[in-house]
Amino acid sequence: MKTNVVIRLVLQLTVCTYAVKSQTATPVLTPADLQGKITTNTVILKQPHCYFNETCSDCEIWLVPAISSAANSFDGDSTNNNILTLSPYPSAFGPQSKNYFLTKVGPQSDFPCDKSSDSLYFVVGSDGNCTTTNCNGILPTGSVVSFKYVLVQTSRITKVTNWSANITLFTPQKPASIYDGFVARSGAMVVITTILSVALGLLLIFFIVLCAVCGQKKESKPITGRGSMRMPRYDTHNLKDRVQPYENSAYEPERRK
Amino acid sequence: MALGGLGFLMFILVALNILAAAASLALFAVAIWVAVDGYKLYAISAVSGKDDIFAAAWIAIFTGFAFFLTCLFGIYAALKRSRNLMLVYLIIMFIIFIFECASAITAATNRDYLVGNSNLVKKQMLQFYTEDSSNGKRITDTWNRVMQEGKCCGADGPTDWLTFDSTYKTNFPKSFPWPENCCEKLSNSEVKNPTSCQTGGQALFKKGCFQHIEWVLSNYTWAVSWYGFAVLMFVFFMLLLAMVYYVQLD
Repeated sequence: MKTNVVIRLVLQLTVCTYAVKSQTATPVLTPADLQGKITTNTVILKQPHCYFNETCSDCEIWLVPAISSAANSFDGDSTNNNILTLSPYPSAFGPQSKNYFLTKVGPQSDFPCDKSSDSLYFVVGSDGNCTTTNCNGILPTGSVVSFKYVLVQTSRITKVTNWSANITLFTPQKPASIYDGFVARSGAMVVITTILSVALGLLLIFFIVLCAVCGQKKESKPITGRGSMRMPRYDTHNLKDRVQPYENSAYEPERRK
Repeated sequence: MALGGLGFLMFILVALNILAAAASLALFAVAIWVAVDGYKLYAISAVSGKDDIFAAAWIAIFTGFAFFLTCLFGIYAALKRSRNLMLVYLIIMFIIFIFECASAITAATNRDYLVGNSNLVKKQMLQFYTEDSSNGKRITDTWNRVMQEGKCCGADGPTDWLTFDSTYKTNFPKSFPWPENCCEKLSNSEVKNPTSCQTGGQALFKKGCFQHIEWVLSNYTWAVSWYGFAVLMFVFFMLLLAMVYYVQLD
């Protein structure tokens, strides 16, 4: 019985602490369908509705964009009285800098709980490469950043949210790095090329055979002339006995004396 | 072969020649359609130096018309039953056959180079869009028209402009992350909703343009190479028959 009570107490305690923990909000990327959520140097976050329960007339919500590795640096500075001007935007990022800055989002009254909507967004970096201390300037290209919303009252931070998850900005690659060489042969090209080559070859072979066959036929064919006579010997006179046609009988007696 | 058989063969040959004349006239017409380039995408193939699809179309124009004339001559040669004429017909058809083969194969091969995947088109777009050269102007005009008519952005999507550096980004660093023509425009060519265009909301066209470009160039290619292939196969068997007819003539 006692163990039962103890277990119940422990459970309640964990539930309570969990409930308290989950009350601290975490900034997120806008759930709206925006293609420009993350670019090379800007981010679009969900507006901080219902992140802080306080109701104070002069409270303002500010945003802290920071390089993820410098998050602890801000956490250490957050109790400073001059936190708003401690790291001005123009000198915020660099090897010797604090790598975070603060920019105003709006008065707490602009973000009531019941007006929370996924389609309301806040663009980090909308002021471009600006020069004032707390302007909404662009982030370093390709860096890994995290965000924190803070509640500011009389220039001092009174409440904070958790750090958001790390967000990696796009690092633009050079277009020359795209490989635009030959990719692959499509099936159609292979079919057309092979079949046409074979057809051309066959046609050529048949053509050569045709000329050869027709050439041969021309030479072996005997010439038949139906109308001409052919006789091996041709005599103009049709004489059966071979006699001398002109015989001199007067010559014979002279020969007998 | 009996005289009756020869007459039958002649009749078949004349009929096939008439069909081939009609088919090659159609090839002539289709090749003209490709060469005219109704979709006006010639710049994309010309700037990359791979415009052989259109060269193949020009060859097909000539071979299509030449096939047509030679088939008519073939009808005359078959009816005259003349050996010499049939030989001339066969030789001319063979020569045209070779050229048409070249056209069909060239078109099919060149299409693979150009639109096998989106890399070549994407790289060309990133380098030449808004570049201040003659090639740049042609590509800029072509892409502006394609993006507005096809309601698309980039080669694979708007993220192409984020993932890569581009001449556009160098020339217009403070403008939208993607070209104006990626967003809906009014009739006076102003962006309809600049905020939505900047953040990439409803006003931005989300699909890539490569699909449309690939569809057009593939259609051009298949018109020249597959239809040319069909005509060639028909002519191949007709020529075999013509050779048989030639041998049977005396």
